[in-house]
Amino acid sequence: MFFKKKNQKAVNEFNQVVEGNSLTKDAWKRLRKNKMAVIGMVVVIFYALIALSASILPIYRYDEIILDHQNLPPSLTKTAGELMMKNRLQSVYFDAWKAGELKVTEEESRQINEWIQKNESTKVWNWMYAEGERQREAGTFTFNKSAQRIYDRLVKKINTDLLVSVTKAWYVADSGKRVNLQKMSADELARIYADMLGMDKQVVADATDKEVETALVNDLKAKNPDMSDEDANASVAMEMESRGDKAIERMKKTNLYGKIILQGTKSLKKSLEAKAAEGSIKFPFNETTQVNDHLILKVKATKMHERRYLLGTDYVGRDMLSRVIYGGQVSISIGLVGAITSVLIGILVGSLAGYLGGKIDYVLMRFVDIMYGLPYMLLVIICMAIFGRNIMNLFIALAMVSWLTIARMVRGQIMSLKNSEFVEAARSMGASTARIIVRHMIPNSLSVIIVYTTLRVPSFIMQESFLSFLGLGVSAPFTSWGSLVGDAVDAMTLYPWRLLFPAAVMTVFLFAMNFFGDGLRDAFDPQSKNQQ
Amino acid sequence: MSEQKEPLLRVVGLKQYFPIHAGFFNREVGYIRAVDDVSFDVYPGETLGIVGESGCGKSTTVRSLSQLYKPTAGEIWFQGKDLCKANEKDLLLARKDMQMIFQDPYASLDPRMTVRSIIGEPLHIYNNRGMLDHKWTESEIEQRVEDLMERCGLNKMFKNRYPHEFSGGQRQRIGIARALALNPQIILADEPVSALDVSIQAQILNLLGDLQQELGLTYIFIAHDLAVIQHISTRVMVMYLGAAMETADALELYANPLHPYTQALLSAAPIPDPKVERQRQRIILTGDVPSPDKEYQGCRFYDRCPKKMEFCKNHIPSFHEVKPGHRVNCWLFDPDLQKKQVEN
Repeated sequence: MFFKKKNQKAVNEFNQVVEGNSLTKDAWKRLRKNKMAVIGMVVVIFYALIALSASILPIYRYDEIILDHQNLPPSLTKTAGELMMKNRLQSVYFDAWKAGELKVTEEESRQINEWIQKNESTKVWNWMYAEGERQREAGTFTFNKSAQRIYDRLVKKINTDLLVSVTKAWYVADSGKRVNLQKMSADELARIYADMLGMDKQVVADATDKEVETALVNDLKAKNPDMSDEDANASVAMEMESRGDKAIERMKKTNLYGKIILQGTKSLKKSLEAKAAEGSIKFPFNETTQVNDHLILKVKATKMHERRYLLGTDYVGRDMLSRVIYGGQVSISIGLVGAITSVLIGILVGSLAGYLGGKIDYVLMRFVDIMYGLPYMLLVIICMAIFGRNIMNLFIALAMVSWLTIARMVRGQIMSLKNSEFVEAARSMGASTARIIVRHMIPNSLSVIIVYTTLRVPSFIMQESFLSFLGLGVSAPFTSWGSLVGDAVDAMTLYPWRLLFPAAVMTVFLFAMNFFGDGLRDAFDPQSKNQQ
Repeated sequence: MSEQKEPLLRVVGLKQYFPIHAGFFNREVGYIRAVDDVSFDVYPGETLGIVGESGCGKSTTVRSLSQLYKPTAGEIWFQGKDLCKANEKDLLLARKDMQMIFQDPYASLDPRMTVRSIIGEPLHIYNNRGMLDHKWTESEIEQRVEDLMERCGLNKMFKNRYPHEFSGGQRQRIGIARALALNPQIILADEPVSALDVSIQAQILNLLGDLQQELGLTYIFIAHDLAVIQHISTRVMVMYLGAAMETADALELYANPLHPYTQALLSAAPIPDPKVERQRQRIILTGDVPSPDKEYQGCRFYDRCPKKMEFCKNHIPSFHEVKPGHRVNCWLFDPDLQKKQVEN
């Protein structure tokens, strides 16, 4: 070493030690100063966390269809039952008004007719309900016979309809020993089921065998659509063999277990509903009960119509809140995964083509040109048709065609940087190609890449919804923001909440994404003057 | 005289041609002869100044030396190896001892890197390749970077700053610190001061001079400013149109320029004394510098030479020593001229 080593630390004018720093650390520091970017980042992280933890959040299942709860409006205070009652009553009042049983003033009547002519049904319904309730309270209006019957039936329904689910089941042997039903063999299960129905065990076992076989045939046919019934039947034996005895045994067990639970729940449900009508049990009901001499079930029961839907329900009575959250899982991952993979491929191809140049550049860019020439929706559709419709393939199909533009952009950037003096300096220092690309070229083209990527995220989400609309994206019961919006558009005026919430959630996410991206771009540019 | 010593770097017949492509099929239709048959030696501890007008191949020569361009022909002997034929590893080892300082201090520093990463980059590269004396730790590199910054006149508390936060002179100091990071033997300075204003030029030149004295560096120093070359060089090579015209010790060359081109060049330099300046006899060259894409059968300075002879047109002059250490590429000083003229 030529220099005398001085072990003094570098200090600034305030005698503070200056620690070494790098672009990434600096970028993080600058990002933290940018308020909008931080808010954007927090929102994006919040969305990601919610989407990731969807399965453990206290929300209803996203695919549970309750037909009684179709198109319920969002409400913070009212239960589903109350909303159903309101829906029912407003039409009862309307009918009563039409029949002349509900008396209203001349002017009000004219107003209602005007609303009807203008197709403003929501106003009519709301006014009708308010007026009807007021008159019923005041005693100036009473239900007629059929209306009273409808009303009573609905009240009973709301009070007694239960959602019962079994979380655990035991079999009690004659000796009094409890055995977990799930740990029993198919043979034993068949016996128990036969006992429950009072049938011969053999009959049950045969029926089960047949059902499993049918399931296999259906499975085979689903895999090979061209297969005729005879072929499928013929190859069942082979299929059974290839799956192994254990798998077949498991299939039988699941089949029988489901049947036993169903049978047990049926009788239990009746008694619980009777009790609910009396009001002798409290909900949510969460207990272990003995169904008959041999069966003990751990049961969870809730009143179906006591649910609360914060964001309302959709056209088959599924909770919008959980659908928005689960839809977010799909949309966010499509957006992020698509953007990230396209950026990775784009940077790799673009930087190789740009830096190495010559034949490699020529071949890669002609490939990109050809891919550009093909209509990309067609490519995606073909890809989905060949590899099957699932979310993973959707990712691959979108990422496959989306890297083209970014590859071109990166190539252009790198070609202009390639001849700059600092790259020449790095080469004269013995830096390898990989180092030059990673350390010099990419950081210097980051701003373009980041801006483009954040712009891509919404377009991926939109593309996914378009594909879903064509029936090539995610399919029911899965959902995504795009398909939620698509479903809601038809009934926009009647049920605006079905459109409003997914759209709002999506807009907020895209806003956050753009602010975050802008912040990232500024943070990675040391010369940026865009800071406060 | 330095002739007795073993040269540190020996360049023999260096040629650097760039192909010209034209036509539909991108055929090669000719070459730009940026450097055409240049030979010189560089001795340890000296400063070889290369001077010449724009486009005469100074920078290309230096870039060929550091193998930024692969030379078309010729030999570059450094540390007992011919760099033109060296494999990857030898080349890396050679580059460790042969570093460059670039012309434009604005473009030669990566705008996205902090000063410490810029100066530390050669150290990191060679450390990662395991080509340093031992595996350096991060803090050792950090320490070295701070030492270099202090040595080159930069406050080490600025190590986290970015190049755009510095002035041109400071940036050139960063570039010098980066070139020094690996303790090179020879530094190729490609017009290191031409982008700076005059007061800063002097600072940088003095810094380079101090470093040379302290570290025993050898420089190959390019400039088109004759005063700068006079100030810093021990030997000077004058280039014209890709070829060396005259080499001599700096004092000798400025006192006694022999080649007509050198004479013209020196006469163009202003003298900072109004009285002398008024007396100055300028040799005005006519015509432009010819395009370097044609092959010469005679002297390449023939078109513009004030002392040209008919003989020069079709006979390539040879490089010969007029005085010890003073070599000229001109027929006028060829002792065999009479004989050869008779032969023709």
